[in-house]
Amino acid sequence: MKNYPLWKIIIVFLLVSAGVIFAIPSILYKEDTGNWYLDNRLNLGLDLQGGSYLLLEVQTDVLITEEFENFSDTIRIISRENRIKINNIEQKGDELKIRFDSSENLNEIRNSFLQNYRSVKFNINNNVASIQIDQLYKKSIQDSAIKQSLEIVRKRIDESGTKEPLIQRSGRDRILLQLPGVKNPERIKDLLGKTAKLNFHMVDDEDSKSLSLNLAPFGKMIVADINSEETKYLLEKKSRVGGENLIDAYASFDQTEGHAVSFRFDTTGAQKFGKATSENIGKRFAVVLDGVVITAPVINSAITGGSGIITGNFTSQEATDLAVLLRAGALPAPLEIVEERSVGPGLGADSIAAGKIASIIGMILVCIFMILIYGSFGFIANISLIANLFIILALLGTIGATLTLPGIAGIVLTIGMAVDANVLIFERIKEENLKNKKIFDSIKKGFDRALSTILDANITTLIASLLLFVFGSGPIKGFSITLSLGVIASMFTALMLTNLLVHLYVSFASKKEINL
Amino acid sequence: MFGLNKIIPINSDYKFLNYRKNFYIISSIAIGLALLLLLFKGLNLGIDFKGGTLIEVSTKNTNIGELRDILSPNFKEVSLQEFGDEKTIIIRLQNENNQESIETVNKVKKIINDKVSEFRRSEFVGPTVSSELLWKGFQAVSFALFAILIYIWLRFEWQFGFGAVVALTHDVLFTLGILSILNIEFSLSTIAAILTIAGYSINDTVVIFDRVRENLRKYKKLELLDLFNMSINNTLSRTIMTSITTLLALVSLYVFGGEVIKPFALTMIIGVLVGTYSSIYIAVPTLLVFKFRPQDEDEN
Repeated sequence: MKNYPLWKIIIVFLLVSAGVIFAIPSILYKEDTGNWYLDNRLNLGLDLQGGSYLLLEVQTDVLITEEFENFSDTIRIISRENRIKINNIEQKGDELKIRFDSSENLNEIRNSFLQNYRSVKFNINNNVASIQIDQLYKKSIQDSAIKQSLEIVRKRIDESGTKEPLIQRSGRDRILLQLPGVKNPERIKDLLGKTAKLNFHMVDDEDSKSLSLNLAPFGKMIVADINSEETKYLLEKKSRVGGENLIDAYASFDQTEGHAVSFRFDTTGAQKFGKATSENIGKRFAVVLDGVVITAPVINSAITGGSGIITGNFTSQEATDLAVLLRAGALPAPLEIVEERSVGPGLGADSIAAGKIASIIGMILVCIFMILIYGSFGFIANISLIANLFIILALLGTIGATLTLPGIAGIVLTIGMAVDANVLIFERIKEENLKNKKIFDSIKKGFDRALSTILDANITTLIASLLLFVFGSGPIKGFSITLSLGVIASMFTALMLTNLLVHLYVSFASKKEINL
Repeated sequence: MFGLNKIIPINSDYKFLNYRKNFYIISSIAIGLALLLLLFKGLNLGIDFKGGTLIEVSTKNTNIGELRDILSPNFKEVSLQEFGDEKTIIIRLQNENNQESIETVNKVKKIINDKVSEFRRSEFVGPTVSSELLWKGFQAVSFALFAILIYIWLRFEWQFGFGAVVALTHDVLFTLGILSILNIEFSLSTIAAILTIAGYSINDTVVIFDRVRENLRKYKKLELLDLFNMSINNTLSRTIMTSITTLLALVSLYVFGGEVIKPFALTMIIGVLVGTYSSIYIAVPTLLVFKFRPQDEDEN
């Protein structure tokens, strides 16, 4: 031991003790304590603690189609003002083609149209006009829709009472949600699946002919009732007031109609609503949510206070959820769930228990085997192995990594592979010792010669592991993190800790020969 | 201790490569079969890559047959499978589109609610996502092989890199072939297992190559075949030791780690076995093809 540098001893001692100290929170504590030290613990992934992972896609195509509908409505209005007849309108991809009766006055139509929409191309070819949108225009529509959706999704999730949700944009048009501890993912999916576009339209009860023909005249639309496809209403296309003017909504109870949702408008909304109701006493207005009529009551008197109540055979949960949706606001475009992974708390707990047992048994087997083969040196390798595990846990805890089920597999695998560096060293020492009986010399040569092999072998594993991290998703990333940290920790423990322990052992046991 | 260390050979002198032609034939047949299997039988793709819905339930007062009878009339493509024990059942469904799948899960839950004590997990992967995942998995494996080739080339000579990648490709194809025969589900975690196998196999190969390089410098007059045999023997005890410890850990994972992790552990076990074999019988003999003694080494 005479020549063993003191700084090496100190570094090894410090690193190993740091490993043990910072592994303790992960081993002993499950809950957040608020203590800076104890909070250096592993987070459990959704597959271990239970919860839901959802990937949502914002259906921005709908917005483009909507935008083209707006175009054709505007064109119809302008051409009516200019007394030009339209033969037909058709949308093809990013282009809208309007065939007019004649080619006269089309420039005027073009000018008035471009006053409303600036960044579109409007070309006239004889009696056909074409309106084109470019990629930039499309992208700006999509981008703002996704930002808005993200905001609304966040509000809805917060309102649903989910704790510590992770909500973030993923790729071009997706939103990623991680909801730990959610017990009823179906309710969340219901909440996210609704666009929640609320509008108040006047009902046209006079024109029964259009309704029976199922053909809406210009400026009108036919909408079905929420409870039966058969019941249809003829409504004014233009809404009198919409959900964007709501400032509050909450579940309430109506004596005659049961569960209901009460709402309140902002000033603008209250004015619009007051105007619509005072002009149409005796007529009906319809509450339209996502393209179906929820209820269509008769206006008995002008409603000027800006608040009202929606009834419609709701259950208590439905009323609560509708209130949540109205408070959070409407999504600009529908969301589609493209991936879901929900794990119940039972399976998560089982996985943790199984992972613990597998790690402990794997560890015991490897330790016994090492002692059987290498005797005292095997014992030293085992100390390194245990230190290695502590260091992995400490690293995972301090960087705040998330432990997943594949991550546990990574730890178990590391147990098997971590002894590799020790084995390489011991085999090399044994070999040197056969040639050269000087004990410290053999040890030194053994470590030196094994070094480059250990580096090469482990760096290749790290490369594979790094690529897993880059291309893998959620749980797989967890696996690559534990495997990488395991490989790095095993290099340290073998080259530093095993080295120190071997020197200590040989010195203090005053060994004259190596018994490997 | 207990004389057990005798199972790890010291100063062994096995003529591994003298029988290399036999192993070429064995490996060629195995890889040929694996390719045929992959081509004609294919892999049992899980929902990660095929898309679809999976629901794991703990049942009460029922059995898989009854559940099947309840569900089959309601859904077009539904398959049930016991998972670990007879109370735990996995239900798999195929759907046309995303919206339908969400409704399907709700419907299944409603229909079998009174037969189930716990809905343990539900997973749904839509068609666009599943094809993306497959593509990403393919990219990960190809980039890994390529990156390893580059690393070995930089650290050794290019011939070593070639040998290592031939051995790796052999291991990956062989493992995929076994997965196909055993009809083990191919999922995201299988990709992780395959990449880890690549890492392990290369680890094993590098250790032997390292010794080959060292011996090439040390024994300049020795026949290449003898030199390679010697290098394999030099590292044989380490090869055996590390394989055994890794297998001990993996077997423990397979037996005690729970149902979800079983396919992963099994894939790894197959990979470690074939990886150890290929380092000796594929990677090293590939170097013989080149008949090389690096020029600069000779001049020194």
